[in-house]
Amino acid sequence: MSHGHDHDHAPVATGPKVLAVHAKYADGRPRVRTVQVVRPQAEDTSFLAATAKGLGITLKHFARNLFFPMKKLATRAEAGAPAEEKWKNEIETVQYPEEKVTYPERFRGLHRLTLRDDGAVRCVACMCCPTVCPAHCITIIPEESGDAGIEKRPAQFEIDELRCVVCGLCVEACPCDAIRMDTGEHARPVEDRANAIETKASMMARGIRSTATQGGEGPNWRDGQVEGGASAEPGAHH
Amino acid sequence: MRRKKMQKMRIILRPARLAVLALLLLAVSCGREKDVPDLCATNPQLPGCQVQCVVNSPVLKCPAGSHCDADGTCSVSCVRGDERCGSGTCTAEGRCVESSLLFDILDFPATKWAILILALVMPLASILTWMERRQSAMMQDRLGPNRANIGPIKLKGILHFVADAVKMIFKEDFIPANVHKGLFALAPILAIAPVFIAFAIIPFGPTIYPHALTETIDPYLASAGGDLFRDSIRLQIWQTDFGLIFYFAILTLANYGGTIAGWASYNKWALLGGLRSSSQMMSYEVAMGLSLMGAFLVVGSLEPGLIVAQGATTEMSPANPLNWLFLWQPVGLLLFFTAAIAETKRAPFDIPEGEPEIIGYFVEYSGLRWGLFFLAEFIEIVFISAVITTVFFGGYQVPFLETDGFHGFGMALPLPHVVVVLLQILAFGAKTFLLCWFQLMIRWTLPRFRADQLMNLGWKLLLPLSLANVMVTALIKLLFIKPGGAP
Repeated sequence: MSHGHDHDHAPVATGPKVLAVHAKYADGRPRVRTVQVVRPQAEDTSFLAATAKGLGITLKHFARNLFFPMKKLATRAEAGAPAEEKWKNEIETVQYPEEKVTYPERFRGLHRLTLRDDGAVRCVACMCCPTVCPAHCITIIPEESGDAGIEKRPAQFEIDELRCVVCGLCVEACPCDAIRMDTGEHARPVEDRANAIETKASMMARGIRSTATQGGEGPNWRDGQVEGGASAEPGAHH
Repeated sequence: MRRKKMQKMRIILRPARLAVLALLLLAVSCGREKDVPDLCATNPQLPGCQVQCVVNSPVLKCPAGSHCDADGTCSVSCVRGDERCGSGTCTAEGRCVESSLLFDILDFPATKWAILILALVMPLASILTWMERRQSAMMQDRLGPNRANIGPIKLKGILHFVADAVKMIFKEDFIPANVHKGLFALAPILAIAPVFIAFAIIPFGPTIYPHALTETIDPYLASAGGDLFRDSIRLQIWQTDFGLIFYFAILTLANYGGTIAGWASYNKWALLGGLRSSSQMMSYEVAMGLSLMGAFLVVGSLEPGLIVAQGATTEMSPANPLNWLFLWQPVGLLLFFTAAIAETKRAPFDIPEGEPEIIGYFVEYSGLRWGLFFLAEFIEIVFISAVITTVFFGGYQVPFLETDGFHGFGMALPLPHVVVVLLQILAFGAKTFLLCWFQLMIRWTLPRFRADQLMNLGWKLLLPLSLANVMVTALIKLLFIKPGGAP
């Protein structure tokens, strides 16, 4: 309440005021005490001032959010963006399917299979990724590629997105830059479990050409390396 | 020690003393009015003395079975059941009218009830189920449900209530083992039915004269009767002198729904919820009733229709906002509003259904049975808002809108009857809606009371304050209002 009752609140801070000690333990600690209990005064129990104050706060938020337009998507979505925009409301919600935020560069999305220059799948079915996969969600059935220099390719390449834990180990394990998770897309909601399985075709449809050189053709990244400089930038990433 | 005990007793007795004082004052103020000498017996030439009644006056009205003629006498043209009207029928005011089946049906209480419930109460209650979530979201910087749609029709998510209804209808109606089957089924109905019944006393619009819809009505002419004003339809289902008492009585029954649900559910939490709901109802019913007594003293009637048609005093037009009771009974309004929120069992008074501690008396209910409890809560919000609108905010009155158009500030704007009626019904709806909105604001602002805080507030604050309110109102009336004058 507006009129302060400092003397009323003072005992609360230090605990109840001991009026009398009726009995003691052998070591002198008090055993039975009479204490003064500070009960709230009538003006504190009416809750009127607190109610009015609270209503003022909620009303301010409600009115602002009702009458003012939403902030720009970028301001809502980006962490670290300035929170205050003048004459805008305070709602931070991103309405997902209609509004999408740009994901961080290293966001792990749906898998893609990268392509060779001629559009063939880059994967050589070495089985590194199903081996390393902790969720056992990758199934590869290899076949002969018909190219003596390449030896194998996947006849089938399936990833069960319901089992995938999006750890990215498959991408790390791949020696050929054949599988990537840089699509920036979510696993989609499906009505049938079978539809959650990504096939070789669907992942190649998202495929892009790898910038890594392949099969010893073209310039090798070692060519530009300075003697002893192990930290040289591998060409695969740019 | 003894003295301390005495002091304690005195504190306990304070509300009781207040009550006795208030009753005494009531008795005195009532008695004084009766002691007024009949001035008209000695001075028949005084204005107002020659007439038995004034046409359309809610105060100087004729006894039941008779009506007021333009010359100020009460007359009886017919009595129900006799032959004097020929092919016509006899109205409750003892007037012969040509009977018209259509208007008889429209004037039938069940018809009015159906129209009120279907056109005002249910839509408002349904929209409240969506509004509560949307509004709370906006108060908390969220968006809230805004997606339910039928094809491209989205309406900011209002259709969520349709989705909710469909969901609840098609959910499994699960009845746990060991419940008392009969009472378990009865409880939701007991919770929702009384609220519907209580709406009977609410005047949700003015009297409609269906044959004079396009005319600008002179209120005095209308009451005198005549061909243009026959078949009048009063937009109040049941007009009774104990209207507000009736509402207290009926709405108390709704509480049995919760208590019986708790009892029949064979569940400790449900039983606790039921008990809490009864104790809360008992604590707040007293303050709620007493807080309206001030309004009763000011107006001199408990009939909601009269409170709206007359206002606080006959000196001013009932359409003048200065004549609405929120200015005459601000403390009464505050107390009634608080007690009424407690009666609806919503936050901050929602200990009977406090979600984190006990789910509440409907913990064992599912599907549409639970939906009935849910709906009953929202209809109670609408009802409480309607009562507060009626008693404290002039009911269907639009500021400065009389029966024949706008008057005020030295100007007059005559309006046809149909426009006036529509404006007034709209005003009632708008006021009720605003109060519903305010109740939602309170519900999403305040945290739940503890049970002991609840009892403290009810017994130690609301009750003495409402007694004091009655007392002060009675005192002011006794000292400052001329006896025999305007009530």
